[in-house]
Amino acid sequence: MEQISTLEAEALAAIRSAKNTADLREVELKYLGKNGLISGLMRGIGALPNEEKPIFGAKVNECRARVEGELGARNHELRQAELLRQFEAERIDITLPSRSARVGKEHILQQTTNKIKRVLGSMGFVYMESPELEDFKYNFDALNYPPDHPAMDEQDTFYVEDRKVLRTQCTALQGRVFESTKPPLRVFTVGRTFRNEAVDRTHSHTFHQVDCFMIDRGINMAHLKGTLGVFAREMFGPEVTVRFRPDFFPFVEPGVDYAISTPKLFGGKWVELGGAGLIHPNILESYGIDPEEFSGFAFGLGVERIPMMAYGVDDLRLFLENDLRFLSQFA
Amino acid sequence: MKFTESMLRDYVQSSLSAEAIADLLTMTGFELEEITEVEGEKVLDINIMANRGDGASVLGMAREVLAKDSNAKPTDLYLRATERFPASDAGNRDIWAKTSVAVETPNCTRYACRVFEGLSNGDAPGWIQERLRKVGQRPISLLVDLTNYVMLETGQPLHAFDLDKLAGERIVVRQAEKGEKLTTLDGTEHELQPSQMMICDASRPVAVAGVMGGEDTEVGATTTRCLLESAHFVNTSVRATRKALGLFTEASYRFERHVDPEGVVAALNRFAELLYEATGNRPIGGVLDVYPIKPELSTLKVRVSKASALLGMPVSFDEAREALKRLGYVISGQDGETLTIVPPTWRIDIQREEDLVEEIGRVVGYEKIPEALPIGSTPLGGAHGFELLVDTVREQLLRSGLDQTISHSLRDVHPLDAPTERVMVRNPHAPEMAYLRNSMLPSLCDAAIRNGGNNLHLFEIGRAHAAGSEETLLGILSVGAFEGPSWSPRDTTQADFFSLKGIVEAVARALRICLELKRGTMDPRFHPTRQARVFLGGVEVGVFGQIHPERADETDLPASAVLGEINLSQVPLKQDAQINLRSVSRNPAARRDIAILIDKKVPYSELEAAIVSAGGSELEKHWLFDIYDGQGVPDGQHSLAIALQFRKVGSNFTDEEANALRDQIIGALTALGGKLR
Repeated sequence: MEQISTLEAEALAAIRSAKNTADLREVELKYLGKNGLISGLMRGIGALPNEEKPIFGAKVNECRARVEGELGARNHELRQAELLRQFEAERIDITLPSRSARVGKEHILQQTTNKIKRVLGSMGFVYMESPELEDFKYNFDALNYPPDHPAMDEQDTFYVEDRKVLRTQCTALQGRVFESTKPPLRVFTVGRTFRNEAVDRTHSHTFHQVDCFMIDRGINMAHLKGTLGVFAREMFGPEVTVRFRPDFFPFVEPGVDYAISTPKLFGGKWVELGGAGLIHPNILESYGIDPEEFSGFAFGLGVERIPMMAYGVDDLRLFLENDLRFLSQFA
Repeated sequence: MKFTESMLRDYVQSSLSAEAIADLLTMTGFELEEITEVEGEKVLDINIMANRGDGASVLGMAREVLAKDSNAKPTDLYLRATERFPASDAGNRDIWAKTSVAVETPNCTRYACRVFEGLSNGDAPGWIQERLRKVGQRPISLLVDLTNYVMLETGQPLHAFDLDKLAGERIVVRQAEKGEKLTTLDGTEHELQPSQMMICDASRPVAVAGVMGGEDTEVGATTTRCLLESAHFVNTSVRATRKALGLFTEASYRFERHVDPEGVVAALNRFAELLYEATGNRPIGGVLDVYPIKPELSTLKVRVSKASALLGMPVSFDEAREALKRLGYVISGQDGETLTIVPPTWRIDIQREEDLVEEIGRVVGYEKIPEALPIGSTPLGGAHGFELLVDTVREQLLRSGLDQTISHSLRDVHPLDAPTERVMVRNPHAPEMAYLRNSMLPSLCDAAIRNGGNNLHLFEIGRAHAAGSEETLLGILSVGAFEGPSWSPRDTTQADFFSLKGIVEAVARALRICLELKRGTMDPRFHPTRQARVFLGGVEVGVFGQIHPERADETDLPASAVLGEINLSQVPLKQDAQINLRSVSRNPAARRDIAILIDKKVPYSELEAAIVSAGGSELEKHWLFDIYDGQGVPDGQHSLAIALQFRKVGSNFTDEEANALRDQIIGALTALGGKLR
């Protein structure tokens, strides 16, 4: 029995004098390991009288429990100290620059297009595209342009052949859709358009347009205004109001240009966004759609206008120059 | 169109300010460009819509103001203008003794003239000169200034000929004969074509009809006898001629947009009034008026219910009728809710019911239209089919860390153009925008150079044009480091063929398509031994590789740049992209590494095919982790270190099983000439 208390005192002293967890691990092995000294005490149990065996066994187990308890406590204490030293050694300056994650940046016109597609797509308009090098027929004739009309002067046209032009307006999609699709229909597109103009801050021979149109029973100017209202508020903020003003485009009747106003932008002034109107009945009839049964609306606007207005970009050329110093400000 | 505030107030009495009138015109469709103050008076510059020739006159503007401003009143001058400036000498035939007019072309629908004698062509009255100056015109002489002034007022172009200079003192309106020449007022000599309509005298052309007078017959300081022309020409004829001759005048501007044929004589009469006021000179009695083709007056019906239905706002019968009346429409009948209307001769754009709906709407006011959303059948919106495929590709490239560029389609030729024929535009403003691109690579090269030429990873998706085709291409250019300069660099790799190959493979995975690569040698844009042709289902859809060193020199790109292009239009649309799900084993894997010595000419793809085939379904994956051709490796050979990872479903691999499978794979590689190292 004495043997037990001596060994316990020795073990506890060793635990207390351990300087670190590695020392402690050695103490643990020496006393508590499979072949450790405390475990070894049990080997002597066979020599004892039967009646002493349980008492001796209990004593050894009590001793083991106390040593284990002390060891655990000491281990915790040493471990905490060690961790503190480790943390101190591993201290970093979190203000050092990052290793930047490689993220592909989306072009600002693409981001704008994505937003347009999300808004109009969620209103049930199907996204479609049509050729940039377009038949004269779809760019003008199918859109109710009288032959050789001054309205064409407003769109200086790039010709490739007599009847092949770079589309001057994404509205050119309409005839292609009406040829193949019976109403009701809701369609929109975003694409590039071309005008034979010299390039400067506010002019470009290439820019992008949204064109959106629908045909159904009972469609009227209020539906046009409502759809434009939702669209404009999504693009420019919840306080935007829409104004119609009469204007002439051969493919709509009545034709309007629409302007938006918001107290937050442009000092609350009306800013024109694009042209719109009810699809001209001549066009409906030319595709076998009865204007007494169906009516439709169409609107268009320039894609570049949106970031120009929203962010104050004042030079149209920036959009197609791909200067990452410009583009990375948006992505 | 510019006019002074006082010119408008001569025609309409309104309590509104010039600014308020301008707002009102803007809201009726005639948009204000600007109001300026010239010599103490406001001058309005109004944008005239292409279908509203009637708006290019003070009279037309006054009509719009009267329609929109219910408090405005017409002046006596306005009322006389609407009565076509009646003249007391209307029935007089004195003029018949002075000249004659023959119209020999259907492009002239009306030709009228007056003759004035005993003139002295000095200066116009001060107030007319002043008004012309204010709208930006230079006063020239009494006769010329009066023609210009009357045109501003009524919209009808006039031309004054010196009657003494007209051969035979007569007018013939006809198409030019081939070889005829005419020097116009601007001093330019024109070679005329039969498609061009001319005003001629007895022997030669003296004016381009509806466009510009001739130099020889213009009125000058010595003019005492004048033939004053007022005519109506077919708009497309005037337009074609002025385009062919490269002329653009106030007259042609108006004729192209349509001038009121019924106002032809009125303008002559107004000129005579003003001349009399200024000089006391009266014309030779009568008007010579040849009017072979009169406008067809049709009647139109408009249902007020239709107007309300299309405008999306309630319009009452009275509102509709009033709106049309105020715009000068004659209401010839009404039946229930339907109005029967004769559109005025100055509005050829009014052709059907919907045109009248617009007229009613713009007078009632578009600001009253409420907002509503369409109801009815709604399709599944957004992108589908090819457009969705393009979205998928773009999103994948962004995820792969490439920056998107968007560039001009029109550009100059470039060393990185595709070897297909370029499409040229006929009338470019400048040579650097003369061609449609046939590849994305030149644009990407420009973008790379603009941004420093190195450490850039760019892509563009856009349309490219070759003769007869327009296709959507994906172009990629990758050069230099992937990670920016850092105090603690992690990824020090540079873009090369294999990093680009990985990007291409990621796109293929996103599209669930299987691309096949074949060694290319011929594309001059690429390094001849570092280029790959890309095939999809046997069809060549693209190419990529390292830039040809000579192209690198020509373009200033680093010779290490890799680039490529995939034709997305060639990718078939899959209706249902199927995923064949494999079960995931819960048993541990066994790994064996092997090193194989083999001739460098044997493509790795052949080894890979052998490994996959020999490994069967229990070869979970394999990867090449080293290529060595240093000491101990025979010339022309290299050592490939390949890791093999085996796994079974439901049981573990034993060492013996793993070794056996490894040996089976080594056997397959030995058959290709490989040797275990």
